Amino acid sequence: MQLNDLMRVSVRQVIRHRRRYMGVVLAIALGVAGFLNIVTMSREVKNNFNENLDLIGGVTVLRIYFDNQRSYRPQWFREQTLTALKRLDGVKELSLTAARHGQKSNFKGQHFAFMVLAVDEGFWQVRNFWPLTGKLFGLDAVNAHTRECVIGAELAKRMFGDTQVSGTDLEINLEIYRISGGLGGVTDSGLANSVFLPLTTAADRFPGRLLADRLYLRCATWDDVGAVAAAIPGIVKSFQSPEELHVEVAWEALKRVQLLAWWIEFLIYLATSATFLLGGVGIWNVMMAAVTSRTREIGLKKAMGAEDRDILAQFLSEALCLSVGAALLGAGIGRILMEILGYVIESRPPENLFFFGVTLAFVFAVVIGVGAGLYPSIRASRMEVVSAIRYE
Amino acid sequence: MNKSASSSPGNGALIRVTDLCKTYDNGVDLIQVLRNINFKVYPGEIMAIMGPSGSGKSTLLFILGIFLHPSSGSYFLGGQDVLSLDRNAQAEFRRNRVGFVFQSCDLLENSTVYENLEFPLIYAGVDRQDRPERIAVALERVNLGHRIHHSSNRLSGGERQRVAVARALVNQPQVILADEPTGQLDRSHGHSILDHFSEIVSDGKTAIIVVTHDPEIAAGCTRISSIRDGVLYEQ
Ligand SMILES: Nc1ncnc2c1ncn2[C@@H]1O[C@H](COP(=O)(O)OP(=O)(O)O)[C@@H](O)[C@H]1O
Ligand SMILES: [Mg+2]
Repeated sequence: MQLNDLMRVSVRQVIRHRRRYMGVVLAIALGVAGFLNIVTMSREVKNNFNENLDLIGGVTVLRIYFDNQRSYRPQWFREQTLTALKRLDGVKELSLTAARHGQKSNFKGQHFAFMVLAVDEGFWQVRNFWPLTGKLFGLDAVNAHTRECVIGAELAKRMFGDTQVSGTDLEINLEIYRISGGLGGVTDSGLANSVFLPLTTAADRFPGRLLADRLYLRCATWDDVGAVAAAIPGIVKSFQSPEELHVEVAWEALKRVQLLAWWIEFLIYLATSATFLLGGVGIWNVMMAAVTSRTREIGLKKAMGAEDRDILAQFLSEALCLSVGAALLGAGIGRILMEILGYVIESRPPENLFFFGVTLAFVFAVVIGVGAGLYPSIRASRMEVVSAIRYE
Repeated sequence: MNKSASSSPGNGALIRVTDLCKTYDNGVDLIQVLRNINFKVYPGEIMAIMGPSGSGKSTLLFILGIFLHPSSGSYFLGGQDVLSLDRNAQAEFRRNRVGFVFQSCDLLENSTVYENLEFPLIYAGVDRQDRPERIAVALERVNLGHRIHHSSNRLSGGERQRVAVARALVNQPQVILADEPTGQLDRSHGHSILDHFSEIVSDGKTAIIVVTHDPEIAAGCTRISSIRDGVLYEQ
């Protein structure tokens, strides 16, 4: 029997009996679609979690600092160290800061003391802060050393009785800065009572040397945190003394988030493999039923001169048609889901990951088709003509 | 009718059956259906087999088509010891040397007439572009050319029977074994099938064995025999 005849006859058979096969095909197709979405989207979804949910995303932020109170020589982060850290695998972004405690301001005859945090343009993004009012200064301000500041909401209330203070002037150490915005998204009361200046501006204006000794680093996903944290001391050491360097990770929270994510992923994989397994059992059942209900057809074909292997090939290729057809359908559905999900979370997985998933799904499909279809096909091929013909 | 073939010497026989016996074992007792059947069939002959129902006519035809093995005896077709063939050679034999029309006129369900006739050609390895021509010729022989793309489920009983005959013809076998092929046909169609059979054997190379209940059909054959109590009688 020629291959093109075999394919034609099998496809025709499957299409004509589509109602009998629909359930199995759909089950496998959905399994494939789910599988493709896990393969392609899980990293994207994690990334997205990371950005949108501070609660979960917070565990991917590392605080790295030199404890200059204990250090004999003052330490700060060098340019090369920062560049090397940025290039580290799994690092998404980082922000350099310096803190000055006990800064003073005079407003309407009252004295206020607070911390000034000198930060770079990436700070808001890394810490997931957003403007409560006005705007948070960016790269322009940092490059231009402008005299503007962002004020913590609590401090603003204490001083001005209101958070709508953008545009007003704030005096710090007898110098005037324009308030560009109020800071939101802060749970830490220390930060809510602080003033934020561009790093460059603070370096210019404040007496003495400004020690940029704090670094906030955000990892791409929580799976990267461990490796990144472990690599940091080595990288720092290759450019400067790592004396009194501290790397702070929210290990407990990280573990909880990771465990949760692991369970979710595990359950999805479990569901997927269950679908595949059920698909296999389904194909087995459907093919066994087909062999029984098509006994006469088998007998007739043998009477027309079909060899055992012709019958075997036909049933096997029908099983393959089912599973591979289901995989094809699943790839289509999976692609659509992926597009929708990608649109929702505004992020696209790399195309080759999709093709990798599709290839894997097709390999699975062939394995299922052959694995579940072989025994029924062998039974069909071994049937004796006369018992098939006299079968009622 | 071409009777000259039957009078030719015995070693020109197409089919030679000797001392053929068949006993069914239904689990309770042994049923001896065929006892010491002996006959020869020559090219150009149409042999009618008659007999009451349950006498073993279908059993004999199944043995001749090697769907069933006899309990003992020998069976040669064209000098070949048919009973010694292995499984694949049996398939080859069914595909190229005999055409079978079943009593129940089985067609492949949910398939067109064309597809029914195509399978024997597929199994025989006939090229795809040569198939339509041969299928059309076979269907013309049973006057069903106009039904070629009909679904087998929508044919009348008589049409099914004619399609089954056409399917037996399509591979141009040496022997056609037909189990009551005219059972459901009206008189004129029954006779036209018989005319086609006569036309087929007139090439002097083919033989046909027809099981029938209809004495008129039997009378149109070149030979009539009947089975009674497991024994074959020539008339
Ligand atoms: N597989 C079988 N097992 C036991 N008995 C059978 C079997 N097949 C047929 N028979 C019996 O053999 C006899 C001959 O059957 P069959 O050849 O179909 O007769 P016919 O075609 O002449 O009507 C019947 O009595 C039938 O019941
Ligand atoms: Mg019968």
